[in-house]
Amino acid sequence: MVKFLSEEWIEIGKNYIVDKLDPIKDLKSITTSLLGVVEHIPPDDITMNFYLELEDGKLKDLIVNTGDTFEEKKAAYEIRGNYGTYKSILMGEMSLGIAVLKNRLKVKGSKLQALKLIKPLDGVIVALKEITDEFLD
Amino acid sequence: MTSDKALTLEKTSFKDAVQIAKKGSHCGMCRFDFLGSGVCPAGRKKGFLAYWPQGRMEIVKQLYSGRVKPTEKLEDIVESCNFCGCCDKQCNFTTQLRPEKVARTLKEYVKNLDQSEFQQVLEDDIVRGLREIVGEEWATNDPVIISSYTFTILPQDSELNYYIVMPENTEQVSKIIQFANKNNIPYLPRSGGTAFSAAAPTILVKGLSLERGIVIDLYRLKKLEIHPESCTATVGAGITMFELQKEALKHKLRALAAEAGAHVCSNIVTTGIISTWGNRYGAFADNFIDLTTVDDQGVIKKHSDLEVNNPYSTEPGFTNLSLTPHNIVTEAIVKLHPIFDDEEVVLVPFDNLRDAYRLLIKLGKREIGLSLAVLSRKYLAEFLSPTLKISKDFDYVCKNYIKLNYVVSVICNQYDKKIVEDMVDYTIDQSLMKSLILGAPRFSTLKDSEFMKILSQEEDPLRAIFAGPMRAHLEKALDPSPENVAKVFDKDLQDFFKKVYSKPEMTDIVWLHAFRILPTRMMRQQMFMGPGGAMWTGDEKHYLKWIQMFSDLGDKLNVEHSLGFITPLDNGKFAYMEYDYYYNHNDPEVCDRISKIVIDSMEQSLVMGKVLTILNYLFKGIYRKEHVLYPIAEGISKEEQELFKELLGTVLGEEL
Repeated sequence: MVKFLSEEWIEIGKNYIVDKLDPIKDLKSITTSLLGVVEHIPPDDITMNFYLELEDGKLKDLIVNTGDTFEEKKAAYEIRGNYGTYKSILMGEMSLGIAVLKNRLKVKGSKLQALKLIKPLDGVIVALKEITDEFLD
Repeated sequence: MTSDKALTLEKTSFKDAVQIAKKGSHCGMCRFDFLGSGVCPAGRKKGFLAYWPQGRMEIVKQLYSGRVKPTEKLEDIVESCNFCGCCDKQCNFTTQLRPEKVARTLKEYVKNLDQSEFQQVLEDDIVRGLREIVGEEWATNDPVIISSYTFTILPQDSELNYYIVMPENTEQVSKIIQFANKNNIPYLPRSGGTAFSAAAPTILVKGLSLERGIVIDLYRLKKLEIHPESCTATVGAGITMFELQKEALKHKLRALAAEAGAHVCSNIVTTGIISTWGNRYGAFADNFIDLTTVDDQGVIKKHSDLEVNNPYSTEPGFTNLSLTPHNIVTEAIVKLHPIFDDEEVVLVPFDNLRDAYRLLIKLGKREIGLSLAVLSRKYLAEFLSPTLKISKDFDYVCKNYIKLNYVVSVICNQYDKKIVEDMVDYTIDQSLMKSLILGAPRFSTLKDSEFMKILSQEEDPLRAIFAGPMRAHLEKALDPSPENVAKVFDKDLQDFFKKVYSKPEMTDIVWLHAFRILPTRMMRQQMFMGPGGAMWTGDEKHYLKWIQMFSDLGDKLNVEHSLGFITPLDNGKFAYMEYDYYYNHNDPEVCDRISKIVIDSMEQSLVMGKVLTILNYLFKGIYRKEHVLYPIAEGISKEEQELFKELLGTVLGEEL
């Protein structure tokens, strides 16, 4: 059982992306960084974030922090949403695109540029979907 | 079409009731008193959609399909109806349906159920929490009540994994959102449901509907105050356009009006109120002085708060799509406008669109008139005709004999009227429009008459009928009277409709333009989808080519279609156009074709450029029109076209 946002989740996620995803075919050789802020995490209603960085389609960083900011690195994009929204995405109930269009995920930065990343990021989402099987209710 | 009281009251089988219910289009006209006939007492008292005629119709469908089982609340729902007949009058005016038959059948069905067949619904932690916020009776997880929201905010095939909550004020809305967030439950506000009724059952279901969670029904936010000294009104989210307009009229004031059943606050949010009065009264953020909003963290803000970030700007570009509102507007202070004693209507008939369009834009740029629009023949036929059959014959006569394909409709003062009359050869005035309303049944019977055959042989039938001696013959042939219109309604309702059509406002084109009780007739027993948007008017050929594109798509996919209306914006620099496709909303195959048309037309519009499509309009109403319409959109590139397809692919999935 791998819990979303746990230490184990980071390790397995990193390995999965490196081992199973092709930087060119799956991740379209993208270079970008993303800060995902996860709000209202049960049971104590806390906020956490994860920082993801890709360079030429290769994983450079996947870091999880508490709070809603990550001071060490500045991400190109920030997406922000409820724990429940991330859970729906990782359980395959909702796509990243529709979460943005329904305002469940708020994008900081150019929406056009962010939406252009949706397809390449689908690969990462699929990877995280594969490894995440435990959520807090 | 004719039935006596006995026939009306005779038992309707459950299957027949389902057939009636299926023709319902959730127009919401049963939720306010637009005919002076009163309004459903059960709905007003209980609030939840299930207690309104449209909700009962939906419940019958849902029970029949097996999606929902009877619950104890169902007994309360059927018992709350006293068969007062209000709904039959209202629904018959717009759709010719008889919701009371459905309500009676539902009651009979419930009466025959064994007590063991009623499902008991247990209170869970979520509904308990919601009840702590709004009070015991205003939150529910009852599946029957939930099912009544299908077709307007809930998708047809979802599990009924929802809660309905009816807050009374902004503070309660805020608490509900905080509660939803804490429990990680999605939510969506609902007002009149009129926007969703057209779109949700057919396209963008995944985007516009709530997949699970809390429906925040805003009906109870009923604050309505008119401030004559400042020409403004404070309007709660539960107030319809009709209710606002009625109160404003008492002070000789008028609001920028959307369709009668639309709720004012949600209409501001959804599209910034698309209206034929927009060139003079404004659009988007022009409509209001202040808004009270609740954001997605439950924070209450006002636009007038000093510390608030600029609430009027939005990102330009075609990817700026939003399928749900960013914030919930619980209250608005809207602008009202003076009504002048010398207001009149003047309509200019045309056989071709180009000339009608030219006149419209010329008037828009010169700021002539208060309300300005090109209305299609189809619109005239639908609005003026009391029944669907009459509207089809009305349309046929206009098309095949008198070549009346478009009118430029102008509501104006006497000086502007003179200007319009000087600009054109002939016009239609209030008196003739009154005759057409009261004589619509007779007008439709002129199909294949000698009179029409002679008229059609004229070189210019429009001139012959509106500027020549034929006009007097036509008026005589119409034999206009409230009695004659009333005759086309069911026998037991004829006395009522005679009184309705005797009221001066029912034939007053200025009143009808402001109160907009007729457009819902487009949804009588069928649905329409009206894509379009606002296009820059600087290139006439480009604009007309855009409209032709919609027409070609309708032909290609074999769907009944017609231009709806065009109305100028921002002193004629832009013009909003709605192109309508009519279809049977119970036929999945035709719904698929409509979906394809909407997507293809949007894509082609974006490629053409200079246009803000209806999807880009959605939920931009609180921003300044200057930020929404400008910079004028360029046509999108091949790469962007691919991105657009991917974007909609995520929304529509297999529907695309």
